[in-house]
Amino acid sequence: MASIFEKLWNLGPAAFILKAIVAAFIANAMLLAFILFRRAYRKRYFTRRDKRVFELRQNWDALISGKVPYTEWRNKTLDLQIVEAMALDALEASGPEESARLLKFLRNSGLIEKRICEARQFTGWRRLQALVALGCTRAPEGISALAEGLRDGDIEVRLAALRGLGRMASPQAGEEILASVAEMGLCIPALPLQNALIQCTAERPQILLPYIRHAESPFREVLGRVLGEVATPSLGPDLLQFAEDEIDELRAAAARGLSHTKVELALDVLSELGHDPTWFVRLRAIVSLGKLSDRRTIPTLLRGLTDANRLVRFRAAEGLVAFKTEMGPIFAAVIATRDRYGLHAYLTALENAHLRGMLEEELQASTNISEKEKGHLQSVLMTGALPTEDAAMTAEIPEHVAALR
Amino acid sequence: MIQILHISNHTLFWYYLLSNLAYLAMLIIAVKTSARHQRRLGSHRLSWIRETPLIPPIAIIAPAHNEERSICVAVRNLLDLDYPELELIVVNDGSEDCTLAVMQKEFHLRPVRAIYVPEMKSARVRGLYRSDVDARLLVVDKEAGGSKADAVNAGLNALTSPYVCIVDSDSVLERDALLRIMVPILENPKRVIAVGGIVRVLNGSEIKDGQLQRVRLPRKSIEVIQVIEYLRAFLIGREAWAQGNMLMIISGAFGVFRSDLVRSVGGYRSRAIGEDFDLVTRLHRYMREQKLDYEIRFVPDPMCWTEVPSDLKSLGRQRARWQKGLLDVLWPSRNMLFRVRYGRIGSFALPYLWLFELFAPVVEITGLVTIILAACLGVLSGAFFSQFLIFGYAFATVISIGSVLQEEITYKRYNDWQDVVRLLGYCFFEHFPYRQMHMFWRLQGMWEYLRGDHAWKPLKRKGLASARAH
Repeated sequence: MASIFEKLWNLGPAAFILKAIVAAFIANAMLLAFILFRRAYRKRYFTRRDKRVFELRQNWDALISGKVPYTEWRNKTLDLQIVEAMALDALEASGPEESARLLKFLRNSGLIEKRICEARQFTGWRRLQALVALGCTRAPEGISALAEGLRDGDIEVRLAALRGLGRMASPQAGEEILASVAEMGLCIPALPLQNALIQCTAERPQILLPYIRHAESPFREVLGRVLGEVATPSLGPDLLQFAEDEIDELRAAAARGLSHTKVELALDVLSELGHDPTWFVRLRAIVSLGKLSDRRTIPTLLRGLTDANRLVRFRAAEGLVAFKTEMGPIFAAVIATRDRYGLHAYLTALENAHLRGMLEEELQASTNISEKEKGHLQSVLMTGALPTEDAAMTAEIPEHVAALR
Repeated sequence: MIQILHISNHTLFWYYLLSNLAYLAMLIIAVKTSARHQRRLGSHRLSWIRETPLIPPIAIIAPAHNEERSICVAVRNLLDLDYPELELIVVNDGSEDCTLAVMQKEFHLRPVRAIYVPEMKSARVRGLYRSDVDARLLVVDKEAGGSKADAVNAGLNALTSPYVCIVDSDSVLERDALLRIMVPILENPKRVIAVGGIVRVLNGSEIKDGQLQRVRLPRKSIEVIQVIEYLRAFLIGREAWAQGNMLMIISGAFGVFRSDLVRSVGGYRSRAIGEDFDLVTRLHRYMREQKLDYEIRFVPDPMCWTEVPSDLKSLGRQRARWQKGLLDVLWPSRNMLFRVRYGRIGSFALPYLWLFELFAPVVEITGLVTIILAACLGVLSGAFFSQFLIFGYAFATVISIGSVLQEEITYKRYNDWQDVVRLLGYCFFEHFPYRQMHMFWRLQGMWEYLRGDHAWKPLKRKGLASARAH
């Protein structure tokens, strides 16, 4: 005798709809059963896990000091997962001393070797997991396995390896990334690459220089951006060579990096870069000039205040506001530019820095300027608007203001 | 006449079958994508993202209109978000109550001359204020523009960050929502131009000081049915469409966009009814016309919780407005249909929206009318009718339970057994009469739009302050 399913199946095309109805009801029942069983199973699993986490936490110190034999937990899958997760989480939040202790534990228990092996042997998401765990450990012996991950065909794996290497934050990891990208080309999106390189080269930015000299665009631009972030005073002369580079990113990097160098070395170059045709190069130059805190930068900053780009104007204004001892003359010089956008940017920066009151007091107390000019400056400060063209023409530019320009 | 009725009934059957098959295909794609996303999440430790040196700044734009009761809680919630480079721009959209005054008192606002370039159309701005308590807070006080789009445009004009996140000020974002939504952008900022997060139903959950304390299922049936709808729309629909880079809607309650591109397309269309849908459609158009490589992504784990209508009248108004918004966007985009330059958007996503979203109420209501007519005339096949009903019901239930399954295997926010059982129970009850009412509201929306009612009408909500009482 044929089963009910066979009978249904043999009903012919006219009964297609009936079969579909049965299929839909079966699907509903299966979905419901799956959801409910899964819930019940997970509830049981997490109860068990919580209990075990609590027990292991009670013996945590004995566990990581090795007093509890490693074999006691390593051979049990659940325990192994819990201990590793707890150790990695602790490592993320620990200071140098605790980190060293945890790292020693991970090494002695063979967990790092296990992850290195998995990162090399596995594929897909299991390799991803291993790479992330290696990154968390920051163990130098994991660098080569992570570097191999950079050469994987799957972009997800490459990104996980890159993040892991970035987490290492060591020059060796940086060297591996650079060598890999130089060899394989830019097969990783730029932003994660920059982030990883910044973390790895912050300690020794010099490792970037040979690659910058020989790399081609777009890798060279990425390196330029990284250099701009990690440049230190020791790189000063090396940065100068990039100030005239044809790649905008490198000029911007030079501009950014020069803020860390000596004023004498940086001033002329930054002033030059403040006229660059590319807006973000000018922006970097203006920001760096602002950071130099040298009054010789004021003329360039004043020019920056009249820049076509609003971000450049705003940064120039922030730089000018930082000269608290010369607020009056600078304010007069800002008005003398006759640029209402520049004035707007300056007043905004002044208010954001809570220095408007200070400028008012300085203008009030100033003996270097005439009463007429004082009233004129106070009026602009109050209204935020430039005086009319006629008033500006008749008002002569005082000597101390002209000197700033 | 009888012939017409037969054709109509069969058309309805095939239409319904096709629509459900499309959803089934989306369910399969979404389950697969979610599983992959879950595995990938393990390699994105949020603490690593937070420490990323070049993390791009984001400005959140939160329009507020007559929200004196909840605005302070909402602002504090947004300022508490876990993201290192954050600016919050609250746009007071001509509130007639004390929205600005309560913010002034709470956050010590002072007038500033922040950068404001009126590139995008918006009503007149009365003033800009920055908080002395938290310098990340900028308030744009403007005259009422009559739409959310107008308010967001004012925020966009004051924006300096490379990314903008647009939220509703009465929504609750989970603390790590911004970090999570930025993951695709951090991976590939050149290609990913916008990301949508998931919006979920806040009703019934416990809120304290603007933070979600406990997720619970709402008590009212009408709210629970909306929970299923939201799960289906986000965890199945958007997940699947985004997989093919055909995501057409990023919810106005929570989405991140590249600021320069939003500016390039002229910001929000100030008279748009469905402003969120309109913006994404114009972004697709712009990117395709410029022949630029791009991706618009959906990430299901950054969560935004929003209040949904809790009575039929408000729900009806909301759905009518959504339908008006759909028509308001699809009609101007009709020249994108089946044009090679618009690729899969013109040949697949938009035709789907026309056929299965815009025309759905027309087809279904017409179908119902013809079924009733056929029954009255005695030409309705009893077997056909019952088979159609049972099949439609069973198939639609599969999709609804599938969306609950998606929630269960991925984010599992309803921890209470009772909640899950209720949610599953409602999967069997949402098809009648709710679905028919829903279609009627949508048809009403279309009718209003065609009669020239293009006004954007905000919905009345209880707000965050009241959510605590749940």
